[in-house]
Amino acid sequence: MEPEPNNTGSGSGNPKEEATLKVPSKDPKKKDDKKDEDLSEEDVALKQQLELYVERVQDVDQGLQKVALESMRNLAGEIAQEYAKRVNEEAAVKDLIELVEQIVAFHMKHNAEPEAVDLLMEVEFLDLLVKHVDSTNYKRTCLYLTSSARYLPGPDDMSVLDIAYTIYTKFEEFPSALQIALYLHNMQHWMFVWQHVKQVFTSCPDLLRKKQFCYILARQGLSFELDEEMCADDEDREALQEIINNTKLSEGYLTLARDIEVMEPKSPEDIYKAHLLDGRASAGASVDSARQNLAATFVNAFVNAGFGQDKLMTVPSEASSGGSSGNWLFKNKEHGKASAAASLGMIHIWDVDAGLAQIDKYFHSNDNHVIAGALLGVGVVNCGIKNDCDPALALLADYLDKEDSSIRIGAITGLGLAYAGTQNEQVGISFPLHCIRDKLTPILGDPKAPLDVIAFTAIALGLVYVGSCNEDVAQAIIFALMDRSESDLGEPLTRLLPLGLGLLYLGKQDSVEATAEVSKTFNEKIRKYCDMTLLSCAYAGTGNVLKVQHFLGQCAQHLEKGETFQGPAVLGIAMVAMAEELGLDMAIRSLEHLLQYGEQNIRKAVPLALGLLCISNPKVHVMDTLSRLSHDADTEVAMAAVISLGLIGAGTNNARIAGMLRNLSSYYYKEASLLFCVRIAQGFVHMGKGLLTLAPYHSERFLLSPTALAGLVVLLHACLDMKAIILGKYHYVLYFVVLAMQPRMLLTVDENLKPLSVAVRVGQAVDVVGQAGRPKTITGFQTHSTPVLLAAGDRAELATEKYIPLSPILEGFVILKENPDYREEA
Amino acid sequence: MGQGTPGGLNRQGNSGDRKNDGDKKEKKFEPAAPPARVGRKQRKQKGPEAAARLPTVTPHSKCRLRLLKLERIKDYLLMEEEFVANQERLKPQEEKTEEDRSKVDDLRGSPMSVGNLEELIDENHAIVSSSVGPEYYVGILSFVDKDQLEPGCAILMHNKVEKAPLESYADIGGLDAQIQEIKEAVELPLTHPELYEDIGIKPPKGVILYGEPGTGKTLLAKAVANSTSATFLRVVGSELIQKYLGDGPKLVRELFRVADDLSPSIVFIDEIDAVGTKRYDAHSGGEREIQRTMLELLNQLDGFDSRGDVKVILATNKIESLDPALLRPGRIDRKIEMTLADDVNLEEFVMTKDEFSGADIKAICTEAGLLALRERRMKVTHGDFKKAKDKVMFKKKEGVPEGLYM
Repeated sequence: MEPEPNNTGSGSGNPKEEATLKVPSKDPKKKDDKKDEDLSEEDVALKQQLELYVERVQDVDQGLQKVALESMRNLAGEIAQEYAKRVNEEAAVKDLIELVEQIVAFHMKHNAEPEAVDLLMEVEFLDLLVKHVDSTNYKRTCLYLTSSARYLPGPDDMSVLDIAYTIYTKFEEFPSALQIALYLHNMQHWMFVWQHVKQVFTSCPDLLRKKQFCYILARQGLSFELDEEMCADDEDREALQEIINNTKLSEGYLTLARDIEVMEPKSPEDIYKAHLLDGRASAGASVDSARQNLAATFVNAFVNAGFGQDKLMTVPSEASSGGSSGNWLFKNKEHGKASAAASLGMIHIWDVDAGLAQIDKYFHSNDNHVIAGALLGVGVVNCGIKNDCDPALALLADYLDKEDSSIRIGAITGLGLAYAGTQNEQVGISFPLHCIRDKLTPILGDPKAPLDVIAFTAIALGLVYVGSCNEDVAQAIIFALMDRSESDLGEPLTRLLPLGLGLLYLGKQDSVEATAEVSKTFNEKIRKYCDMTLLSCAYAGTGNVLKVQHFLGQCAQHLEKGETFQGPAVLGIAMVAMAEELGLDMAIRSLEHLLQYGEQNIRKAVPLALGLLCISNPKVHVMDTLSRLSHDADTEVAMAAVISLGLIGAGTNNARIAGMLRNLSSYYYKEASLLFCVRIAQGFVHMGKGLLTLAPYHSERFLLSPTALAGLVVLLHACLDMKAIILGKYHYVLYFVVLAMQPRMLLTVDENLKPLSVAVRVGQAVDVVGQAGRPKTITGFQTHSTPVLLAAGDRAELATEKYIPLSPILEGFVILKENPDYREEA
Repeated sequence: MGQGTPGGLNRQGNSGDRKNDGDKKEKKFEPAAPPARVGRKQRKQKGPEAAARLPTVTPHSKCRLRLLKLERIKDYLLMEEEFVANQERLKPQEEKTEEDRSKVDDLRGSPMSVGNLEELIDENHAIVSSSVGPEYYVGILSFVDKDQLEPGCAILMHNKVEKAPLESYADIGGLDAQIQEIKEAVELPLTHPELYEDIGIKPPKGVILYGEPGTGKTLLAKAVANSTSATFLRVVGSELIQKYLGDGPKLVRELFRVADDLSPSIVFIDEIDAVGTKRYDAHSGGEREIQRTMLELLNQLDGFDSRGDVKVILATNKIESLDPALLRPGRIDRKIEMTLADDVNLEEFVMTKDEFSGADIKAICTEAGLLALRERRMKVTHGDFKKAKDKVMFKKKEGVPEGLYM
C-alpha cells in the first residue's frame, strides 16, 4: 500500500490519543458501546478521512491513484499560487489547466467535491466542473456552489450560480434549477431570469413537474404569464396558471387548519388571556375605549386571518342576516372604522369570492371611513392572488379620483396590496398594468392632492413595481418629492415617499445609483433620509458587508436634534445583513453596540431592526434583549421593542413571548399607546392561530420574496414614527404585513392536486454542505402526517418511500408521485 | 401626546405596588433596580453574553466556503471594532460617569450569600456569620456605606478569591508530560480557545490527576493556580460533606455558580474520593448524603446547563474507587497519571529475593538520594537505587552491625 504522509501522521496519532484517554475500566463490552457515540467531532472527521483514504487506495487506476495520493493537496495549492502568479505576469496557463483537469476529475470521482470546486474557483475555470459531475455527486457539488455564492463577491457569485444552474439542468433537477433562476431574480434584470424560467419549463416535458414549478413560483409571489412554448395544451396551461395565481392557497390553508383543528374562531379575549394576570390589571379602567376596540379589531383580524370566520366581524351578520350587521364596526371611531372594515379582508384573505361578498355591503355605506376600509379590504383579500377578472382593479379604480382623501387612500393602498409585485412587463401582457400606473402616477403630480394621499400613492407604486427599476415611476416619485414644500418635508408621512422610491430598486444593487445621485439634489431636510432609504432597499438581502459598514458609519455620528436619517440606516443594517445566517448573527451583535452608544433616534430603530432580522423566528437571546428594551424609560424605544416582540414571534404562538406580552399588558395598563402596541404584538404572535409566518425567506432560507420584504419594510418605516402613523390615524399601515403572510406549512398533494396525507419527519435542519456521503439532513425529528407546520429552521423529509416528492425542498405545496419501485414490506 | 412624564410616574407607582405584594415575578420589570441582580436573575445576565458569542461555522472541514464564512465574520468584527473605537472617541462626558458607575457595579461582583453582621472590629473589618455555617472575620469592601452597618443587620457576603500559591511549574521536577497535558486541558482552552475551534474540537472540560501519594498532584494544581490568570477556586473533597442534609449539594452548586460568575475559572477539588466513591446501597443517611453530593457534582460537571469557561481539576490517589460516571469523557475528559520519578522500576526491587528489613529499604532510599545529590542531580534514577542497593547489600553481608551503614 501507498501510505500518504499526511494521513498516516494523523492516523497513528489517533490510537495514541485514545490510549491516554482510556478509562481504566475492566469491562471491555461497555467500552465498545461507548466507542461510536462518544466519538468527538474531531474523531468523527478523522474517521471519515480514513475511510476516504481507504477508498482512494482501492481505486482501480493505479497510476493516477499513486500520483494523486502523494501530492494531491499540496499540488492543488501550488497550482493555485502558480496560476495567480502567471496571470499577473500574463504568461500561458494552458499546461496548468490540464493538470487542474486531472486533479478535478480525481476529486470528483472520490467524494471530494469541495476540493474540486475550490481549485477551479482559484484558477477561475469553473466551467470545467460541468464536464466532471455525474449523477452521484452533482447534488453535493451544487449545494456547495449555491452556499458559496452568498459569500462570494460579485460577479463571482453570478458565475457560480450559473454553473450550478447548468449542472441542475444537465441532470434534469429542474426544481432546483428554477430556484436558482429565482434567486438570480433578486439581482438580475427580469428578462434574464424570465429566460431561465422559460428554459426550465420548456426543457421539462412532464406536466406534473411543471405544476410543481408553478407552486414554487407562486410561493415566491411573482406574477407570471405562461405562454404556448412553455405549455402547449391550452387546458393544461390554464391549470398551471391557476396554480401560479395562488387561487388554491386558501383551500390548502384551510385544509391545514382543519387537520390541526383550529377552525374555531378566537376572540381577542382568548388571546389576551387576562384571567392569567392578577385581578387589578385585567379589570383595569379602560382609559380610551376607542383605542382598545381598535386594538381588538386588529387582534381579531390577525388571529383569524384566512379562516373566513371570527367572533367580531362576521358573526352578527350571519346570525341575524344583516340586521345588526357591523355592530362591531360601529364600536370604532372615525378612522378606526376603516381598519375595522378592512379587517374583513384580512379574515377572508386569499379567498377572493367569499371575501368580496362579505365586503360588498360596506360599499353602500354613507360613511367615508367605512368605504375606505372596504376598499382597503378588497386589496387585502386579493393580496398575492391573481384572479382572471381582476375584481380588485374593477372595484377600486372608480374610487381613485374621489374627493374624500380617506377614500382615495383606501383605494390606492388597496391597489398597491392587490397588485404588489406584478410589475414585470413581460411578453404578452394580458394584465392591465399600465392601467394602474396610468391611474396612480397622475395623483403624484396633482398639486391639489394632500400629502397623505401622495405618500400612500408612492408606496402603492413602490409595491406594484417592486424591484423593477421602472424609470417612469421613479421620475414621478422624484418630482413629487421635489414639489413638496418646506413644511411638508417635516411631516412624518413624507418619509413614505423616499421609501416608495426605494422599493422600486429593492435588491437591485447598483441600479439604484442614478436615482441616488438625483436624490442628492433634494432639499437637505430629506436628502440624507432619502439616501439611506434608497441604499438600504437596493442592497436588501445581499449581505453586502461594505454597505453594512456604510450604515454603521452613519450611525456612528452624533446628531443635532431633528435629524432622522439614522433610523433607516439602522433598518438598513438589518435589511442587508438578513441575507445569510452568519451575517444575521453578527448584525445582532452590532446592533447591541448601537444600543450601547446610540442616541434616542438610533435606539428606537434597533428593536425594529432586531424584529426584522429574526422575524417569525423567536431566538431566545433576541427575545431577552427586546424584553429588556420593552421596559425602556424612553416610550418610543419601548413601543418599538413591544412591536418587535410581536414580529419575532409572529405566527408562532410562542408561549414565552405570549407570557412576556401578557405581563407587559398589565405593566402598561394605564398607558393607552403602549397598551395598544402590546395588543398588536399579541395579535402578531397568535397570527393565524399560529399557522402563519412573516419570514420573507423561504425554500430553506434560500429565496427571498421581494413583496414580502417590501411589506415588512413599509411597516417598519411606519413604526419609526409610531406616534404619528400607527398611533395616529394611519394605523391601517399594519395591514401591510399581509404581503409577508404565508402559511408555514407542508401540504403534500397527489397527482390530482388533492391533499394527500403521508408520514413525514420534521426536525431541525442540519447544514450538510461540504460533507461527504449522505449525512443526515435533519436532527431531533418527529414523525407526523401531513399537512404539518414547519417552524423556523425546520426541515421535513418523507418518512416513506412509497412516494417521490417532485420538489427537493419540502415546503408549502409539494406534489407527490407514486414510487414505481416501491414494494410493500411484508 | 405627552405620555413621557405621566408614564414615568405610573410606572413608579406600579412597581411600588408590586413590591408590596411581594410578587417576585413582576419584580423583574422594575427599571434600573440594581438589587434585582441576585440569585437566579444573575443567570439571565448571561443573555447578552451569549449573544456576544460568535456563530458556529460549518462545514468543519477545511475548504474555501469555510474560509469565506470566517472572513465574513472577521469583516463584521472589524466593523464592530471600528464602530466601537469611533464611539469611544466621540463619547460625551456624562456617559463616562455612567460607565464608571457600572464599573463599580461590576466590582461589587456577585454576592455569595446573605449573612448577619455580628460585630465591627475596625473600619475595614468585621465578624459575620452566615445562616448555616461558622463565623468569619472578614474585610469590608470599600464601596459599602459604613454608616448603615450596625450589628445584627443583614449583609451580603462576597466570596473571596484565593491568593495565588507560590509554587510554579519551575518548582516541579520531571512530570513534563503531565504538565504539558494539564496545560493543554486546562490553561489553553481558557487563554486560546480559538486553537480548539480551529481544529474543530471542544476543549476538555476537566482533568483528574491520580497516582500514588506524594507524586505531586497537589503541587501541580498549585502550579496551575500560580501561573493562570483565571480565577482559581479550590476545595477539598471532605469540605463538601456537611452537617445538614442538602448542604453538601448546595455547596457544590454554589461553588460552580461562583466559578461561572467569575469565569474564566478553574475549580480544583482535592481528594475527590471523599465524595466521589462508587455508588452502592447506602444504609446510613450520611452515606446517602455523600452520594447525593456526588450526584450534584456529576450534574455540575456535565449537566443540563453548559459550563462555559469553567475547568475542573480533580485529584485523588484512589482512582479505581471513583464512580465511573464521574470519569466518563464529557465530564472528565483527561486522566493524568502522576508517576513516580520517571524510570525507577520499583517492581524490580520489590521482587528481589534478598532479605530486607524496613530499615534496610529506608537506607537504600536514603543512599540513592545521597548518590543523586553527589552528582548534583535533582532526580533519583534507577541507577542510583541499584548502586544504593548493592552498597547496602554489601555492607549487610560484611557482617557490619546493623545501623552502621556508612
